[in-house]
Amino acid sequence: MRIAARTSSAEETREVGEALASLLRPRDAVVLMGELGAGKTTFAQGVARGLGIEQQVSSPTFTLIKEYSGILDLAHVDVYRLDRMQDVVDLGLDELGAGDDVLLVEWGDTIEELLPEERLRVELLTDEAAGEHIRVISISTAGAGWVERSAELEVVMLPWAVDA
Amino acid sequence: MIVVGIDTSTPQTSVAVGTENEIIAKASVAGTARQELVTPLLQELLHRSDLTLSQIGGVAVGIGPGLFTGLRVGVATAKTLAQVANVPVVGITSLDALAYAVRYSPRRIAAVIDARRNEVFSAIYRAVPGGIVRERGYEVHAPDRLVAELQALSGEVLAVGNGAMLYRYVLEEIGSRIEFASPIAAHPEAAALVELAVSRLLREEHDRLFDVVPLYLRKSDAEIAWDRRARGV
Repeated sequence: MRIAARTSSAEETREVGEALASLLRPRDAVVLMGELGAGKTTFAQGVARGLGIEQQVSSPTFTLIKEYSGILDLAHVDVYRLDRMQDVVDLGLDELGAGDDVLLVEWGDTIEELLPEERLRVELLTDEAAGEHIRVISISTAGAGWVERSAELEVVMLPWAVDA
Repeated sequence: MIVVGIDTSTPQTSVAVGTENEIIAKASVAGTARQELVTPLLQELLHRSDLTLSQIGGVAVGIGPGLFTGLRVGVATAKTLAQVANVPVVGITSLDALAYAVRYSPRRIAAVIDARRNEVFSAIYRAVPGGIVRERGYEVHAPDRLVAELQALSGEVLAVGNGAMLYRYVLEEIGSRIEFASPIAAHPEAAALVELAVSRLLREEHDRLFDVVPLYLRKSDAEIAWDRRARGV
């Protein structure tokens, strides 16, 4: 399924991430797409907040992976600096935590074959004509678990929903 | 010759100290991966056995296939120990160690380790006097590929390893020809590594330090298909 949301501030983008976090299960992957500055890390901060993570979430571009513990443990990954699939394999994403971390992967669309089957793809798009802080957040799902959760997903996204 | 063994290729962390005649001390921590325990456990075993590093004649390490993080810790620790003690190191695959531990069987032995992502690492062995011979493998594949491989072979099979436990319901498709080793044999034991390594060390068939590397099996030569990354470099 595909859902679109529209936000008009960084805080609102965080709120969307926070709302989505309530539906996450262990070993889910959230793939974040969007140009530099589109708000991927901002969105990630919202997801972390929704998972009850109190630590400050910053971009893992240079550390590649940062792990946080919350209601569910979260591994925040950024593959932007990697060039080879083997580099991603070498991160051992399946083994983070007890193997049941939620994976939040910035630029993850390029490596989806190496991610768990249950995935949310979240694309953040800017709309300069509409305004500097406007973001359209396009969400699509993969995996049987998200079919089960599709109704809930629609409900939690309702406050920001626009036509996909 | 006193040999130290380390295996961290599965969620079990296992260390042992032994000779060609006996296992002097061993400790295994099962459950979730706890590789941070490798060095303290070894230290404890040596201490309780009144041994020091200077008395060690070699290091045996499980090189996988198995968990990435575990393998890197285990192999790095073993190589460091070998370098510090100035002794040779022997790398042994985790599948060999599993099969070796259950070799008193007329059946073919399928050693199967959980590779995550709905795949297993596997190899197939038969017992010979004094040890085992690998007939097939090492492979990483879906459990039903292993079933197909085993179905193409005749005779009875003994499946061992945490992958065999996890995918027992898949492997049972083979029918009554397959039997499963006990869960207590499901993880490679450092004691088995010691036993396997000591004869090689006595024959001076050790590996060169920098040749001991984890056996990852899962290889990808593909480049990441970056078409959107606007790299500022």
